[in-house]
Amino acid sequence: MTGPSVDLTQLSRRRAADQIGETVLLVALIAGISLAMWLVLGRTGERIATQMCVNVAAVVALSVFTGNSGIVSFGHSAFMAIGAYTAGLLTMPAGLQKMAVPMLPAFIAGHEMSFALALVAVVVVGLVVAFASGLPISRLQGASATIATLGLLIIVHSVLIGAREITRGSQTFYGVPRVTTFWVALGAAIAFAILARMFRESRWGLELRAVRDNESAAEALGINAQRARLVGWTVSGALAAVAGALYGHMLGAFSPHTFYFGLMFAMVAMLIVGGMATVSGAVVGVVVVTMLQDTVRQFEGGFTVAGVEMPSVFGLTTVALSVAILLVIWLRPEGLLGRRELRLPGFGALFRAFGPRAEPAAPVAVRAVAPLDVDGLSRSFAGLKAVDNATFDVPSARVTGLIGPNGAGKSTLVNLLTGQFRADEGRAHFGETDITALSPHTIAKLGLSRTFQNIRLFGNLTVFENVLVAALPHASGRADARARALREIEALDLGGEAGTYADNLPYGARKRLEIARCLAMEPAMILLDEPAAGMNPEETSDLADRLTALTETRGIGLLLIDHDLEFVNRLSSSIVVINRGAVIARGTPEEIRHNDAVIEAYIGRGRKTDNPQGALA
Amino acid sequence: MTFRTATALTLLASVGLAAPALAEDYKIGVMSAQSGYLTPYDQPSYAGFKYCIDKMNEAGGLAGKYNVVLDVRDTRSDMAESVKVTQEMIDNGAQFIVSSADADPTIAAGQISEPAQIPTMTFAGTAPVLTQVGEYIFGSYPADNQQGTVLADFATEQGFEKVYILKSPDSAYTMGGPEYFAEVFEANGGTVVGESLYSLNQPDFSAIVTTIKNTDPAPDLIVTWAWEPDFPAFIKALRGAGLDTQVMGGDVLDTPTVRGLGDVVAGTYHTSGGFPEEGTPYGDFMKEYEAATGTEPDNNYYVNGCDIAHMIEQAVEAAGTTDPASVRDALANIEDGEGIMSNFTFKGTDRMPLRPVVIAKINADGSKDFVSRGTADPDKLPNP
Repeated sequence: MTGPSVDLTQLSRRRAADQIGETVLLVALIAGISLAMWLVLGRTGERIATQMCVNVAAVVALSVFTGNSGIVSFGHSAFMAIGAYTAGLLTMPAGLQKMAVPMLPAFIAGHEMSFALALVAVVVVGLVVAFASGLPISRLQGASATIATLGLLIIVHSVLIGAREITRGSQTFYGVPRVTTFWVALGAAIAFAILARMFRESRWGLELRAVRDNESAAEALGINAQRARLVGWTVSGALAAVAGALYGHMLGAFSPHTFYFGLMFAMVAMLIVGGMATVSGAVVGVVVVTMLQDTVRQFEGGFTVAGVEMPSVFGLTTVALSVAILLVIWLRPEGLLGRRELRLPGFGALFRAFGPRAEPAAPVAVRAVAPLDVDGLSRSFAGLKAVDNATFDVPSARVTGLIGPNGAGKSTLVNLLTGQFRADEGRAHFGETDITALSPHTIAKLGLSRTFQNIRLFGNLTVFENVLVAALPHASGRADARARALREIEALDLGGEAGTYADNLPYGARKRLEIARCLAMEPAMILLDEPAAGMNPEETSDLADRLTALTETRGIGLLLIDHDLEFVNRLSSSIVVINRGAVIARGTPEEIRHNDAVIEAYIGRGRKTDNPQGALA
Repeated sequence: MTFRTATALTLLASVGLAAPALAEDYKIGVMSAQSGYLTPYDQPSYAGFKYCIDKMNEAGGLAGKYNVVLDVRDTRSDMAESVKVTQEMIDNGAQFIVSSADADPTIAAGQISEPAQIPTMTFAGTAPVLTQVGEYIFGSYPADNQQGTVLADFATEQGFEKVYILKSPDSAYTMGGPEYFAEVFEANGGTVVGESLYSLNQPDFSAIVTTIKNTDPAPDLIVTWAWEPDFPAFIKALRGAGLDTQVMGGDVLDTPTVRGLGDVVAGTYHTSGGFPEEGTPYGDFMKEYEAATGTEPDNNYYVNGCDIAHMIEQAVEAAGTTDPASVRDALANIEDGEGIMSNFTFKGTDRMPLRPVVIAKINADGSKDFVSRGTADPDKLPNP
């Protein structure tokens, strides 16, 4: 079970160095291709590169939300429009402005700002609009969130058309100085790539990616999913507004139509081609699509091959792009880059010196004792009482078993205690705190943690990231979180797999990872929902040893829910038995073994003269 | 031989080889969307333009001596692409630019060609605002305010007094046309009794039709600049509700598909840039073009594209040179220039040409009748 011995102290440093290496590579790619275009193709190349860099900024901004949250947004061209109009109004020469938008309200008129100063205003406006629109959108998940973003695009489009005094309505908004030069665009593309990369690895980015992979698991670890989405949306929206300002100052003239579906679909298409999950995917998508389009464009007007004159075929670029998207979706559904950032093997080693060194944290002191007190909890689903007036308590620093036949309501009870479901009646207290009506992530913050019956890991995060993201909401800082994560990785022998994606782990390692993730929170109590399910006897025994050690060395209280009665009996100091939602017995394992009601619930009436010890052993 | 001298020699050689042709060449950059929303206007415009330029080249070139070299580039109806191709065309030495058939790309192109002092003309953009970008930007088609004025005068002459306006804020055309109409119609003594807004591609007009039905006083005329598929959806809903109010519309109704709607559109009046009457230059152009290419030029964009070639030729001829600034001045001073769709006057305008506007009437059998031809009174023309 033990992985190859690994120097965990180097793990953080190596990881940070790899990330720096990947980012340097990405920046080099953007700069290299842009400069090469300019050098090889001259002014034409310079323009293609300028347009490409502005697109890189826009698509990278989109990927900050879409890539990390997994929610496709159609609303980002709305932010681009807001950025373009805001900056355009501020930078427009005053004389031209009087002619183009004569009815402009005085407070926006006649500023004639520098572009850099206007960008500051754009960031502020972008943050405000994105935050306000994010409040409702962040409450939604998956397709409903996507549809809400579509709604945002339509609303902003209508408002831009309606605000004729400011935007000239559906007419062309012109007179915007064309200041997005090659160097401005290149600088922006590089800055955006670095910012997006930093966001991705930041606490917010990690949390958002955890929520993307499994929202309920993230909530159970103390991550506020709604807030994670709101932060991602706000940052991404503000970046998109800046990208829009760059785009507007590249065009010089635009209308609301410029930022409508056409632009949005082009951006999403580039993101799909490159790969949604990574920043390099966004960049590579733009680069590949630009090169494809501009290469094909040269042949549209007709050309000569070996003396044979080919006719001009307009629309070839659209055909080529469509074919490229189809091929990517067919052959590489995760995009050209998949889920890994662009990397060169060994390149990260050059940046080792910059990585932080982190030691595993010292074993934790026992947290404040907090017993769990359940008083009369009930919950019905469509008339069926899944949990019926359950009353029991779980002392701290000990193992309590919760058993019951299939369908007895064990998992529902766990879900009630951790906030996934709301109780119809009754109360639950964790220490002094009434947790009955709290949200999962608030309960987790109190130190009450849980695992899931079917393992819920963050599949696209590495083992280290899985544990790190659990530690972050509870740690005093990033260094503390890193140290905690290393400690739990060491404790559960996951050092050898620290860089592996959770999806690729074998079953036993997944179970251990789920427990490591729980422990990184430094909880006072863990509700373990069938931790031994699907394990072989050897693995089960190993797990039992680890759990015993936990209660002894760290003083963590455990509520152990399992079918494996031997496993429960061996570990628990007391056992609660429920059947059909109601508690039918409580006591020591010995008492439970001889309890008539329990025997009846498990093996049926009239058979208690058989060997009950055997049945319940 | 150093790299630099080699380059210089190569350049010299290429210039030398090209020199005999260069002396007489006139390079025109053409933005033409071959996909996207501008395709239905840019493609026929370009086809007509190229047809007439080719004819002129065969006859010895513009004004008999300047061989036209076309640098045509697809914009895919995309703004960023439009900007890029405009820059490329100017880099490649374009002396004149013909831009896409809409205000957005024309203004974007104009912001680049204006400082470069390259005269730029839109294929068929009709928003009068587009020439505000600068002195080098020209329209070619009768502008929205001219069409609105001529239609309003016609409506007043016909005795209509109460108009209901149906417009869409989604485009400058669908919004501007009816507003220009209303302005002149009210100045003529008529009243606007009601107004509704619709969205482009709105599938259902029954709510608007109900509003029109309940308008008091009842309108005797409905004016809209709606195009397809909105206009067919609206007129079917209107006639389906039993309302037989007279409807008038903009030049977008001048298509075979609208005329093919049958009874519901019978009697509808619309404006148009021209009418191919038998025996007129336009009528002859129809036959000649169809005979030469096998395509029936069934909308005005073909002939207007050809007229752009004539406008450029007359400007170059009057300037006596291909120098862009001189060509611009000559173009801006054309008075009653001879065109095939209609004659054109730039002198005294803000470079949106003053051209006659035709009123046509649609028949139930899918044909159209010529009703009248008029030129907008410059004093009445609403400001853009």
